[in-house]
Amino acid sequence: MKKEVLYHKLSEAILNRTTVSLVTFTEASPELIGKRILLLSETAYGEKGVSDDLIRATAAFCAPSFSKQNTSSLDFQWQNKRYTIFHEAFPPSPHLIIAGAGHVGEPVAQMGNMLGFSVTVVDDRPSFVNKERFSCADELCCQSFHSYFQNVPLQNSTYILLLTRGHQFDVLILQQLLSRKDRPAYIGMIGSRRRIAGVFEQLRNDFPEETFTHIHTPVGLDIGAETPAEIAVSIFAEILAVRNKKSGEPLSSHIRELAKKGFRKGTTRCGNTK
Amino acid sequence: MINVIHTFLQIKKRAALATIVSTKGSTPRKTGSKMIITSTGALIGTIGGGCGEGEVIKKALEVIKTGKPVTHNVDLTSGLLYEDGGICGGIMYVFIEPLQ
Repeated sequence: MKKEVLYHKLSEAILNRTTVSLVTFTEASPELIGKRILLLSETAYGEKGVSDDLIRATAAFCAPSFSKQNTSSLDFQWQNKRYTIFHEAFPPSPHLIIAGAGHVGEPVAQMGNMLGFSVTVVDDRPSFVNKERFSCADELCCQSFHSYFQNVPLQNSTYILLLTRGHQFDVLILQQLLSRKDRPAYIGMIGSRRRIAGVFEQLRNDFPEETFTHIHTPVGLDIGAETPAEIAVSIFAEILAVRNKKSGEPLSSHIRELAKKGFRKGTTRCGNTK
Repeated sequence: MINVIHTFLQIKKRAALATIVSTKGSTPRKTGSKMIITSTGALIGTIGGGCGEGEVIKKALEVIKTGKPVTHNVDLTSGLLYEDGGICGGIMYVFIEPLQ
């Protein structure tokens, strides 16, 4: 198979959210360096010049990395020859669902797109949720929040933002989400303290108290955000911190103590490697 | 990025692909980050910028000429060091290959 065809198959698999990985020979006999094997759950395709036996051996060796979807360099031996391969996984892009197509929704959708999220905007008002306002969204759903959140797949790569126009919509959505068996990675809800208290008040009878501790509200990190764009920055700072399991604290707070100890010059200039 | 690589392979424009295949210590970008370098030196994507990326661009232009893939080690540890001996950088192993 030609490299071009292999990449076409890879693009297709990523688009269809099929589990896939790509293997590159980085250390091997000269004619093999740079050759690729595409791994799918049931099958494997090798580039021209890679023998069927080697494809099978590589696929078997990579099976644990494939199922864990790890990206790393690996050394393996086959028929008394040593190979270094680069196994690259392509986990599906995280899904961001924005409920409410108002002013804040716009920069949030743009930034979500910029950060590699697959962005869905849901609202029941056609004059708000449309291509003119949300050209960067991957999916626009003009339907009731109730019907959307009843069936949307919830996975550990699903991020949900409630940016609706009224607290009664938040109550409606949370009733749907909290009674579902599957949990998303993140639920954030915009609102004043009063609005949040109002929402929780209405849900309190149906759900145990600890359910609410998983909801990020008010949404975002404390950076004094005011405009829609600023709020989007604050929201994504929080989402990234959750996604990357980090504190959201300034990096400088960790390095300050170390930096006090001072620096000294190394022996070579930056850029010299040999 | 995969779509961009696919397009480059289709249009048969001379270019190179640089991929970080492993890292040690603290590096600006993680394993799997990619950058395309065209024969005119234009860039798509980044593997972290700075002089480390500069080295890779230079190597990539050679790779475009020779058509032979190489693994280049970018050592970011050779600049400033902490007084207590800790390093403030890492090493990136970058696989550079022709896209043609």
